[in-house]
Amino acid sequence: MRLITRTQAVMAKRNVLWTLVIRDLRVRYSRSVLGYVWTILDPLLMSLIYFVVFVYIFKKTALGHDPYFLFLVAGLLPWQWFSGAITETSRALLQEAKLVRSTNLPREIWVARVVVAKGIEYLWSLPVLIFFALFYVIKGQTHLNGWLALLPLGIVVQFLFLIGLGLILAPVTTLVTDMQRVIKILLRMLFYITPVIYAGKLVPKPWDKLTWLNPMTGVLEMMRAGFFKHDRIPIQWGAIGVGLVVTMVTLFVGFAVFGRLERAVLKEI
Amino acid sequence: MSTVISVEGLGIEFYRARRRRMSVREMVFHGRNSAPKETFWALKDISFDIRAGEAVGLVGGNGSGKSTLLKMIAGVLLPDEGSVTVTDGVAPLIELTGGFVGELSARDNIYLTAGLHGLRNSQIDERFDDIVDFAGPQVRAGLDTPFRHYSSGMKARLAFAVITTLDEPIILVDEVLAVGDKVFREKCYLRMESLLEQGRTLFLVSHSEGDLKRFSTRGLYLRSGRLAADGPMADVLEQYTAHLAEDSK
Repeated sequence: MRLITRTQAVMAKRNVLWTLVIRDLRVRYSRSVLGYVWTILDPLLMSLIYFVVFVYIFKKTALGHDPYFLFLVAGLLPWQWFSGAITETSRALLQEAKLVRSTNLPREIWVARVVVAKGIEYLWSLPVLIFFALFYVIKGQTHLNGWLALLPLGIVVQFLFLIGLGLILAPVTTLVTDMQRVIKILLRMLFYITPVIYAGKLVPKPWDKLTWLNPMTGVLEMMRAGFFKHDRIPIQWGAIGVGLVVTMVTLFVGFAVFGRLERAVLKEI
Repeated sequence: MSTVISVEGLGIEFYRARRRRMSVREMVFHGRNSAPKETFWALKDISFDIRAGEAVGLVGGNGSGKSTLLKMIAGVLLPDEGSVTVTDGVAPLIELTGGFVGELSARDNIYLTAGLHGLRNSQIDERFDDIVDFAGPQVRAGLDTPFRHYSSGMKARLAFAVITTLDEPIILVDEVLAVGDKVFREKCYLRMESLLEQGRTLFLVSHSEGDLKRFSTRGLYLRSGRLAADGPMADVLEQYTAHLAEDSK
């Protein structure tokens, strides 16, 4: 089984993977003192913008769970991990061409390191989410519940999904010149058809089932479950279940595609 | 002595146009991919075995497939035909500065590159002074400046110093002995010789007859992707020079 043997190969080199991840983070944060601020500023500002546009200008109130601002933060932080990882994994092999050409490592490592580095940035941004959650709990506008336990599972599923997608995108982008532009456009479309700034429950039937095919729908359900009351908008278990299945399929396909294209990619870079 | 590198019926096929890149725009609007499909075999039917402790020199004209063969032994290219089996760790002196990041200091870079090649931090701590001493006083003075401010000679020296302190029993060298000034080159030669004395296996690609004779006892001669000769270095070099003279007529 390719999935298992390759995962073992990467795990055998996990100290190297770790070295690469630390290098990524160090390069990113050595460039500016504000490094950490930039990581959280983007999703926070976007949350603020959507909040102002929808609540104050469009006067919409029932777009997602209440409080809506917390709903936005809980969705935009993982989305930043998702879009950052997709953008970077798609050029993971090209950007490090010199290293890929000179070190004999399991090549899947170049994808994994991006997903891990972006994932750590996401984990670092969690204090922001905790801050706003506590803020609204103290104000009495929401209370935490036991489904908070789904948050770590959501993180694991998002991680696996990103690995699978990255393994498909990295070699394809190497072989197809304008793939990066295509990905940029698709990513923006994906943002609006994923329930990030609205609740998946609000999508008219039967289209809501279609959003379930996107594992991020289920991931966001899991990540938000513990922070809100579910009287008006119940947790969509269907989205979570379908998301799990699609994630596993993506992972299998990812390893298969990567294995098929590896030879051609190495000649190309 | 046991065989450490075993190459059997090796072949690799490349597209003649260097870029075979496809594009989505083309596929959508023209329904096909216009990149040329013509291919050629950069290497074909290559077979040989190298035993532990051997010093092998690879000779051949430009474009004869030397670097390609070295890369396949290093495991950074995969063969389309046949197989390469390498049973021991490899220290590749190919694309020397590949693992270095311009943004980070030389100190960080030493830890990163050595780490990439599998050394643990404690092992790097032990060898750190050796590495810096070898790279020279200029490098020591600039240990905390970003790597991108280094001169290209200093970069290559530091990289050479890092890779040659690895413990890997097989060393692959691709024309990198020419780095640095005369004094440094002499240091490189001494380092290579001491590595050989320790019983490491050396696989050397070079155009310099002097280097080849100095370091390798066995020669492999590649001629347009085929293995034309395999024997004592002096004989192989003689054959190669004879062919060169013939071709230039």
